[in-house]
Amino acid sequence: MQTSKRVLLRCAVAACALLAIGAGAGSYPAYLISLAMVNVIAAVGLNLLVGNSGQISLCHSSFMAVGAYSSSLLASTVGLPFWASIPAGALVAAIVGALLGLPARRLSGIYLALATLGFLQIVQIIIEEFSDITGGVRGLNTAKPALLGTPLTSYGIYCAVTVVCVAAVWLAINIKRSRIGREFDAVRLSPHAAQALGISVARVKLTAFSLSAGYAGLAGGLFAILVGFIDPNEFGIGSSLKQLTYIVVGGLGSIGGSVVGAALLSGLPELLRPIKEYTDFAAALILLAALLFMPHGLAAAWHRVTPKRGKTTGDVPA
Amino acid sequence: MQASFYLQLAIAGISVGSVYALIALSIVVPFKASGVLNFGQGELATLGAYAALVLSQYGLPYYVVAPVVIVSGAVIGLVMERVLIRPIIKAPAFTVVIATFAIGLAIKSAIALHWGDTPFSVEGPFGDEPIVAGGLRLNPTSLWIVFCAVAITALVGCFFKYARPGKAMRAVSINPEAATLMGIKVNGSYRWAWAISSSIGALAGLLVAPVVGINPEIGGLILRGLVAAVLGGFSSVYGAVIGGIAVGLLETFAAVGLGGTVKNLAPFLVLLLLLVFRPYGLFGSREIHRV
Repeated sequence: MQTSKRVLLRCAVAACALLAIGAGAGSYPAYLISLAMVNVIAAVGLNLLVGNSGQISLCHSSFMAVGAYSSSLLASTVGLPFWASIPAGALVAAIVGALLGLPARRLSGIYLALATLGFLQIVQIIIEEFSDITGGVRGLNTAKPALLGTPLTSYGIYCAVTVVCVAAVWLAINIKRSRIGREFDAVRLSPHAAQALGISVARVKLTAFSLSAGYAGLAGGLFAILVGFIDPNEFGIGSSLKQLTYIVVGGLGSIGGSVVGAALLSGLPELLRPIKEYTDFAAALILLAALLFMPHGLAAAWHRVTPKRGKTTGDVPA
Repeated sequence: MQASFYLQLAIAGISVGSVYALIALSIVVPFKASGVLNFGQGELATLGAYAALVLSQYGLPYYVVAPVVIVSGAVIGLVMERVLIRPIIKAPAFTVVIATFAIGLAIKSAIALHWGDTPFSVEGPFGDEPIVAGGLRLNPTSLWIVFCAVAITALVGCFFKYARPGKAMRAVSINPEAATLMGIKVNGSYRWAWAISSSIGALAGLLVAPVVGINPEIGGLILRGLVAAVLGGFSSVYGAVIGGIAVGLLETFAAVGLGGTVKNLAPFLVLLLLLVFRPYGLFGSREIHRV
């Protein structure tokens, strides 16, 4: 079978399996699974930027905030239904991502890290200071999503998140295998060689920033309807590091890695529930240990035990 | 009246900026020596503040607490360099950035675990009674911070200019290979850099503790410290200090002239603008390569 059809088939099977699990599981497990799926969307988007095109981003959670706030505000002020407000929020995030990409095109390494850190702070401050629109530090209650006038049940929201998540992963797999994905790889491995081959490095970086911001915005919008409440704390540097942990543990540049990393680590707070106060500490240690001892992540370990696939994840981006 | 008001503001700005300057200095020294930008450096300040808290709870006087804090900062820096930084010093920028962030997060959450989020207030070494001089009311704690910042800058400047290990560090930062051939131990030079920077970080925490109270969020100072370091050009000791004071003045005057929102946003807008137009800072040398 053709690879593209195989991918589509696998995604469809995964979607059906998730929908069945959600129907069978209780409402709290289903809620946790949907949160994990939101994290998967964010992680897949971040990995396209960090793992594939080799950029550093510390502000992925800010794009999530942009998506969450703009979709919630569009729903509450303009009255857009959720199926329109969430894509609109993702679009706004993608545009903001492109705007940040404009200056970021010229930067790399620690300078890019600094610029994205500065952007994260600016977004945090804007949310906190313009509290008559955003609710400030006290947060914002989001409108209940409804379809054709009837409010969505919690399983309805679960289904929406599942469909979007599987579609996002499917899209990412195809992007990675497309011309854009190969350009990302070229820019990561050698920007000079890529430029010499006629790839516009600046345009590729811009695409990567915008695309990954769009994914984050999508995750943000879904997060808002899923939880029903957003506040700036949810989108601080801690969340950015959490998302980076997903892809470092899963494997930089690997979509399967992002999915597994995000899904596994989303369960961490539940696992540590009896010793809840240790969650942050444990998360920091996991990130540090992954960087020191397993820099290629679970994906590389997986390829080592199944060598017939013979694919390496390539170098960690510079 | 008007002039003295602005003078008063300027002094407040310089005092705030002195803390940023110390943090910027503690970022720039290891960056200069080993090319590692430590995003966890702010947490060294937090550690310094809590070390001061513990020591003063034993009833030790300030002139004992301060040197002990500085020395323990140096020891923590040495341990961090050996255990966590050296294994990844050759790794790509991404790994180093995220790893130093993770170190900071680990320290911060460990502190929050032990002491909780409630701030402890401590008194400055010279009390809080303002000194009135020529129509100006000067807070002794602020003056002490400025004095320490100036003294440390001079010390670090002299260390790099005259002291043997300081000169060795400069050699390593210019060309590690040639320095090794001249008999300089590169690792030794990294050790010096981390010990110095961590002790400055711890000192910054000790100094700022009476002003902001001791809490796990002291490490957030690093954000302004980073802006200061970029402003100063990342590779220059004096640039970092001038950058720090500039950020302090900017914040203070923006707060009075343009309000709180602008005050909070200003440092980061400056950071973004700088990175776009002058990534090598106002005093640094051009080293960014464009593709």
